[in-house]
Amino acid sequence: MATMVPPREERVLRQNVPSASNRLPGVKNYAQVDREIVGTLRPTLGWFALLGTAILCLLIGISTWMYQIHEGLGAAGYHPPVMWGVYIVTFVFWVGIGHAGTLISAILYLFRAGFRTTIYRASEAMTVFAVMTAGLFPILHLGRPWKFFWLIPYPNWRLIWPNPKSPLVWDVFAILTYLTVSATFFFIGLIPDIAVLRDQEKNPIRKRIYAALALGWRNSDNEWRHFTRAYLFLAAFATPLVLSVHSVVSFDFAMALTPGWHATIFPPYFVAGAIFSGIGMVFTIIIPLRKFFKLEHYVTINDLDAAAKLCLFTSMVVGLAYLTEFQVAWMSGNRVEQEYFWNRVFGQWTWAAWIMLICNMVLPLSLFSQKLRRNTSWLFALSIFINIGMWFERFVIVIPSLSHEFEPWQWGGYHPTWVDYNILLGSFGWFFMWFLLFIRQLPVMAIAEIKEIVQPRWRRHHDDSHDLDVQVIDPTLTLGDD
Amino acid sequence: MQGVIGAFVELDSTVHAIEELKKRNFREITIYSPAPRHELEEAVAAGPSKVRRFTLIGGLMGLSFGYWIPIWISDYWPLVVGGKPVASWVPYTIIGFELMVLIGSLSTVAGMFALARIPRLTLTVGYDPRFSHSDYGVWVAAGPDRSLEASDVLRRNGAVEVRNER
Repeated sequence: MATMVPPREERVLRQNVPSASNRLPGVKNYAQVDREIVGTLRPTLGWFALLGTAILCLLIGISTWMYQIHEGLGAAGYHPPVMWGVYIVTFVFWVGIGHAGTLISAILYLFRAGFRTTIYRASEAMTVFAVMTAGLFPILHLGRPWKFFWLIPYPNWRLIWPNPKSPLVWDVFAILTYLTVSATFFFIGLIPDIAVLRDQEKNPIRKRIYAALALGWRNSDNEWRHFTRAYLFLAAFATPLVLSVHSVVSFDFAMALTPGWHATIFPPYFVAGAIFSGIGMVFTIIIPLRKFFKLEHYVTINDLDAAAKLCLFTSMVVGLAYLTEFQVAWMSGNRVEQEYFWNRVFGQWTWAAWIMLICNMVLPLSLFSQKLRRNTSWLFALSIFINIGMWFERFVIVIPSLSHEFEPWQWGGYHPTWVDYNILLGSFGWFFMWFLLFIRQLPVMAIAEIKEIVQPRWRRHHDDSHDLDVQVIDPTLTLGDD
Repeated sequence: MQGVIGAFVELDSTVHAIEELKKRNFREITIYSPAPRHELEEAVAAGPSKVRRFTLIGGLMGLSFGYWIPIWISDYWPLVVGGKPVASWVPYTIIGFELMVLIGSLSTVAGMFALARIPRLTLTVGYDPRFSHSDYGVWVAAGPDRSLEASDVLRRNGAVEVRNER
């Protein structure tokens, strides 16, 4: 870090590095940031209605699960040879959704992408709640769900241990690490903002709760110095973790000798798909949020445009992976593999495969148009198609392989039952219940990081209209300072 | 502890006050700001954070532990399949990596807490809620013999409020 202090006459405003490329012309000062973002915490009737709907969906899911425990897994549409169904499809779907939050908060932080600043808090919350939702599905998939802890290597009285060469055990380590690290990253970033809530709250009970959660944070130079460094290291850890977790999830499939699964392309294919689906869900959440909270001057059209370009890029990576799979099957000379892919696209599962291809490969190509990238209605509609398409991608990966293995006696069909659909609905209820509770208790945007973008008051420029005239040093010059 | 706190609304005034206090040999200075700013960091010139040591040590411990668990389990309960070694480091790298990230991250947070001295039960002398809102604060430790001098420096550099605290 530089220790030389320039003479007063030469002092210039120096933009903080992580937010350097972002500008919020509609946000004038720190007081406005506090007023508008803290203002989102007031509950409304619409919020209660949405929360009630989410809880109702969750209750439907819970009661259906109880029915399934009583009746057995057969109630959920499992029928040989397809013994992985909607639960595993939905598990992979939610883990994928959980990837965009850490991508936006950690990877884009390291890449100094300024557009992340206003959307990362909601995306991080989405990540934590999506991984919490995903974690339920391997348990729902168990005939005896109360034995789920058998996968964790703990000293038990018979000294029997899980097999550490099994992808299912890797999954336990990867998902639990991801949940812990993303929740920690989320909470650490929240501490300075909770301190703002603590200092502004009038209700004594809420003030005490915020005071406990803020951990006595005072915004001192010593705290900021260690906080910013710790945040950087957490981002550096979270970045490879994002890539590893969905790679490990893909090993659940790729390690099996099943047609369509046993492929080395799976880890990058899954990671790209996860990021793509996560960005889709970010649009689904952020676009209504900015409208209903009237925060369009924070999440600007430029930010959405930049995120849409990322969406387009990941869509093309995913599309390339789809085509590569077909090409590898065609060139392999393996008849079983070739028949499997033919059956997927033109045979038994043609409807699911084409939903996947149209939603994930064709429709996102519209984002080549700048006009559509800047059209929030289209982005929202497209995000719904992406969510549907990515759920069907996992359906197309899981079901057709199991229903069309090597021998004719291993061929069969699969029909999800009302139990599957209700539990799928319950998972959306669980996810949105947590998200709706979050947006009314904690700030949906990072107050401290937005203040880093806003021009501070400067004695030489009392008139706010001249703030943008202050000389800004090229942020890239500061990268080697420390 | 006895000292003087000054509240500022402008960033450059705050920086000037810190510089002058340092020139006058006031050693214990604490700055409060609503957001981290490079200008304040440079004026304080406190040196790099030691959080990185916690990160390195935690990461290495996690990595070692992550390899040790599956190796010990495999050795205790051998599953010999296809003539492959009982303890195969390649699949265990996944567990090693995950625990490196897990323990490295948690030790980074523990290091930050220890160095920043949080959680703390009470907000210290001189803290004002406006410092999380929009103003900057400069707290300087000064005994009765130097408190007037410190107050004078803070006022002259544009503090909107100066008060003695103990």
